[in-house]
Amino acid sequence: MNRVGLQYLAGDLSGGNARCIAMLQAFQEAIRDYSTPPEKTLTRDLTSKIGGFVSFLIECRPLSMSMGNAIRFLKSRIARLPLTLSESEAKTTLCSDIDRFINEKIVLADKVILRHAAAKIRDGDVLLTYGSSCVVEMILLYAHELGKQFRVVVVDSHPMLEGQKLLRRLVVKGLSCIYTQLNAISYVMHEVTRVFLGASSIFSNGTVYSMVGTASVAMVAHAFRVPVLVCCEAYKFHERVQLDSICFNELGDPDAISKVPGRVDVNFLDNLTDKQKENLELLNLKYDATPSDYISVIVTDYGMIPPTSVPVIVREYRKEYLLI
Amino acid sequence: MPDTQALVNDFLNKLKKRKIEGSQATAKQTAELLRSVISQTRMPYTNQAAALIHSVKAVGERLIAANPVELAVGNVVRRVLHIVREEDLSLTTAAMAGLNLSAESDDEDDTDRDNHPALSAAAIAAASRSTLRPPSLQTLLEDVPDSAAVPHTSSSGGDSEGKSKSADKSSRSRKLKHDVIEAVNELIQDISTCHELIAEQAVEHIHQNEVILTLGSSRTVLEFLCAAKEKKRSFRVFVAEGAPRYQGHLLAKELVTRGLQTTLITDSAVFAMISRVNMVIVGAHAVMANGGVIAPVGLNMVALAAQKHAVPFVVLAGSHKLCPLYPHHPEVLLNELRSPSELLDFGEFSDCLDFGSGIGAPLLHVVNPTFDYVPPKLVSLFITDTGGHNPSYMYRLIADYYSADDLVLERRTTSGN
Repeated sequence: MNRVGLQYLAGDLSGGNARCIAMLQAFQEAIRDYSTPPEKTLTRDLTSKIGGFVSFLIECRPLSMSMGNAIRFLKSRIARLPLTLSESEAKTTLCSDIDRFINEKIVLADKVILRHAAAKIRDGDVLLTYGSSCVVEMILLYAHELGKQFRVVVVDSHPMLEGQKLLRRLVVKGLSCIYTQLNAISYVMHEVTRVFLGASSIFSNGTVYSMVGTASVAMVAHAFRVPVLVCCEAYKFHERVQLDSICFNELGDPDAISKVPGRVDVNFLDNLTDKQKENLELLNLKYDATPSDYISVIVTDYGMIPPTSVPVIVREYRKEYLLI
Repeated sequence: MPDTQALVNDFLNKLKKRKIEGSQATAKQTAELLRSVISQTRMPYTNQAAALIHSVKAVGERLIAANPVELAVGNVVRRVLHIVREEDLSLTTAAMAGLNLSAESDDEDDTDRDNHPALSAAAIAAASRSTLRPPSLQTLLEDVPDSAAVPHTSSSGGDSEGKSKSADKSSRSRKLKHDVIEAVNELIQDISTCHELIAEQAVEHIHQNEVILTLGSSRTVLEFLCAAKEKKRSFRVFVAEGAPRYQGHLLAKELVTRGLQTTLITDSAVFAMISRVNMVIVGAHAVMANGGVIAPVGLNMVALAAQKHAVPFVVLAGSHKLCPLYPHHPEVLLNELRSPSELLDFGEFSDCLDFGSGIGAPLLHVVNPTFDYVPPKLVSLFITDTGGHNPSYMYRLIADYYSADDLVLERRTTSGN
């Protein structure tokens, strides 16, 4: 648990799926090592223990929406444990539930998404992606394996510069790539035929909550009449609604903005006087909310749905997986 | 002449190597160079305007060819040509009024006589005809040196008038050069003071408790905001950093030094923050005749976001940035691609960039454009040193500053030559 928390803190582990899987696996370990203290019921004590772990993780880095959903699932499973089970049986049930969750909601869901999305890629396409989404990376590699001929435009932004990692992985596998930064998006969008974006979560009003800058990419694509496909597993959907990016967001390290890695000539913000520092604020947002009108279709494990169908999925299928 | 040549070559070199930063500096240096060229031009006996125009065009074409993307150079060349034509026109009308040549004015209306200028009585009437006659098919097709043949035949007749005219002509030629140089000095003065005139209008647009968004760094925007601060308006500024040059960091530093509340955000956060912004104020690299803007990269994205949230998008531009050309495919033709090393570290990506061996076609391309084109429908207001204008009005300003004859500056190669 400590190890996972520290990984979040250091930023080694990023991306909704990766963080969620790591957290659930850490929970599995914790459950296996757990033993009920005397005079306490398993369900209540375990729930409070899980709560303690979650607070620790929040200290390291605020939870992503996918992690929040997974924790709710786990707590509901714990609450539904029949009282007749012995401790070891309960523990094995919980661990297998977590395994099933990971398998069904993430691994298999990704496979379904791959098949749907790869069908939308034709020969000669120029696909644009922003940042580094694991689902989009899988889609591109899968389509490449199927033998489709296409080019990829990887758009990146400061300070995270996650696109560089994706770029390296794609070029190594032999995909032809164009790399650029977010400001140049109007320049490249003339050639682009499809935009594939990942999401951290999708809200019930169809707003896509994902890495900061995604909204700009979707907006420019919409202005150039390029279809935008958001690829997101259904377990990330959330019933909250959000209109803009300010009401709920995560702040990153402000100093990351003033530092530009690898370029000494642009370090203008070193050596600021106190008076200057008092007037200057550095704002490093992590997420932003893309309005649903910019999204053409959302590719999920339930199929390809328009953004307006997200609350339907949340309502109808949420019951289903809570009752696994 | 030799020292002007050296100056011209030195300036050409600087333009080619992109050593001059900023359209204001470029415009000023171009104007100063053209002033030297004009003062060094040897004026012929008649048709001084044509000689001046010819020498300015000769230098101007080379300057524009050295850096076609820096539109301020072409703007200043065309401004100077317009100045020459205007000064010549005003001198001609003054001379005509002074000498009271009413007879010749009848000749002007007679279109038949236009085909036989040799029949006119005085050289001054012929010269005035060339400056005052409206564009017709004949004027469009004939070259400027054609009119140099005119005074030869006309001076043979009317000798008695000729002597007094020649005295007028030489004083006229000195006066023309003098007037043109004075006007070019005024132009240089205008270019230098454009920031103050624009900044004066800041108070009209910035009220209290406003939030202003800008991207990258522009000296005009800095002066504009500081002028508003001087007049005790309270506002805060969001500066987007403007990757990959990160000029926004510079602007933020300048603003906090002058005591303004500034927040530095990443370019990716512009869409997120713009819902809380009252106004977007940016500078431009050039303003085209249709009201479109050639702006630093990333501003099209900001303009689209501003349109979505109904936030006014205000562009500050000095009048030396107004270009009389219409943009055709501006993303490619009026753009410059900078070094990929600003985006990717060559050392880290050397394995991906190494395509010398293997199949042949490179797998990785890096794109780093300098400019963006913002269409006129996304711009709410232009603030220039002459006041505030709508994008649809910009084409009218062109008539003030430029002549229609000067729009195409490239040498036309005709089969006859």
